[in-house]
Amino acid sequence: MARTLKFNIFRYNPQDPESTPHMESFVLEETDSMTLFIVLNRIREEQDPSLQFDFCCRAGICGSCGMVINGRPGLACHTKTRDLPDEITLLPLPVYQLVGDLSVDTGAWFRELYDTVESWIHTKKVFDPTAPEERMENEVAEAIYELDRCVECGCCVAACGTARLRPDFLGAAGLNRVGRFLIDPRDERTEQDYYQIIGNDMGIFGCMGLLACEDVCPKHMPLQDQLGFLRRKMGITALKTFFKK
Amino acid sequence: MSVPLTANHKSLQCRRLDGLLDWAQMLSGAGLIGFMWMHMTLVASVVISPGIMNAIAGFFEATGLAQVGGPLVFLLFLAHFALAARKIPFRLEGQKTIWEHARLLRHADTWLWVVQVVSAMVILIMGAIHMWVVLSDLPITAVKSAERIRSGAWIFFYLLLLPLAELHVGIGLYRIAVKWGFAGRAERKGLKRGENLLTLVFITIGVLTLVRFWFLKG
Repeated sequence: MARTLKFNIFRYNPQDPESTPHMESFVLEETDSMTLFIVLNRIREEQDPSLQFDFCCRAGICGSCGMVINGRPGLACHTKTRDLPDEITLLPLPVYQLVGDLSVDTGAWFRELYDTVESWIHTKKVFDPTAPEERMENEVAEAIYELDRCVECGCCVAACGTARLRPDFLGAAGLNRVGRFLIDPRDERTEQDYYQIIGNDMGIFGCMGLLACEDVCPKHMPLQDQLGFLRRKMGITALKTFFKK
Repeated sequence: MSVPLTANHKSLQCRRLDGLLDWAQMLSGAGLIGFMWMHMTLVASVVISPGIMNAIAGFFEATGLAQVGGPLVFLLFLAHFALAARKIPFRLEGQKTIWEHARLLRHADTWLWVVQVVSAMVILIMGAIHMWVVLSDLPITAVKSAERIRSGAWIFFYLLLLPLAELHVGIGLYRIAVKWGFAGRAERKGLKRGENLLTLVFITIGVLTLVRFWFLKG
């Protein structure tokens, strides 16, 4: 027999001076293979057209529908109601600027992050559009691709205790991004260059190892291993610099 | 053509201090974990025989290890607190944020961090009292320790300090292993189980030691 589900959803429109933050309840009959993406669309179509939430691909690729589901950050399109209890609370992701209801601006946060970590290949080679692409070992390409799978949904940062305590923390997504360039042979930055970006408490040494990032990541990115690798790498760089002087 | 921005900036100084402080936090923690395990094992020798414990204590005093090592461990203890405190929110605002975060997230490792911080505060005070009482009244003997534990409310003092210290040590070791990548994703679950077991074993040894002291007559 189909369950009747109750959804407690955070409502607030910062653009509307009359609006105040509050929770609003909606009730829906559960259907087969129902995801929160389906739930939110049905609520918007059938009950309240003013409900704001982000979505694009509905397949865990675009990373738009990140929200706090019963206390845990996750993707609405990836979350099936059959894995949840009868009462479900949905909140917008913390850390990011609220657009309205469940919609937050992760884009501005990630743009600033990528400026900070200089998220592009740094090379002195002049690009020749007529030359064949430089070859790289398949293993290296796969390792880079593994770290490039991040969809920037922002769940890891929203679940991070350090990010909640210090707004300048780069978070697992930012550190993973640096790790991606660190293993890319085309990037000519040295360990010292990377150390200047992440060798501080805003970067890898700020990470307290709570590993909520690893546990909530909808793409199951290898964040624990990546953070450990960066801490050892940057830790050794700090020692090298210290003993060279 | 992309232009390297950081690579050519020779004037930018490498900020190595945060990295060195992170090393110091980890190494001081690891040192204290080693000390705590050794300490617990040696004190627990009283369970086998008070004579063995007296002989061990006598050796540490005869070689000057207790007189010199004791204060050094105390300094390491304070240094570790100062280093780890860089990450602790001391303002109410931060405390409320992390508490609400942990409560909402219901994530075991986040709660373990809260336990680590709260136990650290209690250990800072109670550990300091313990070290002062023991080191200001050398030599250490099984009978003197037993008398102290039976007097006043000392038994309750140790029944609180023991599990908190062992929890802090256990979580600390787990945290070092996952933070520095000594244990990878595949090892995390097993490491946590092993760590819980080890903590339980040391708490049991500690309780047995307290029971032995309680019934030890001079």
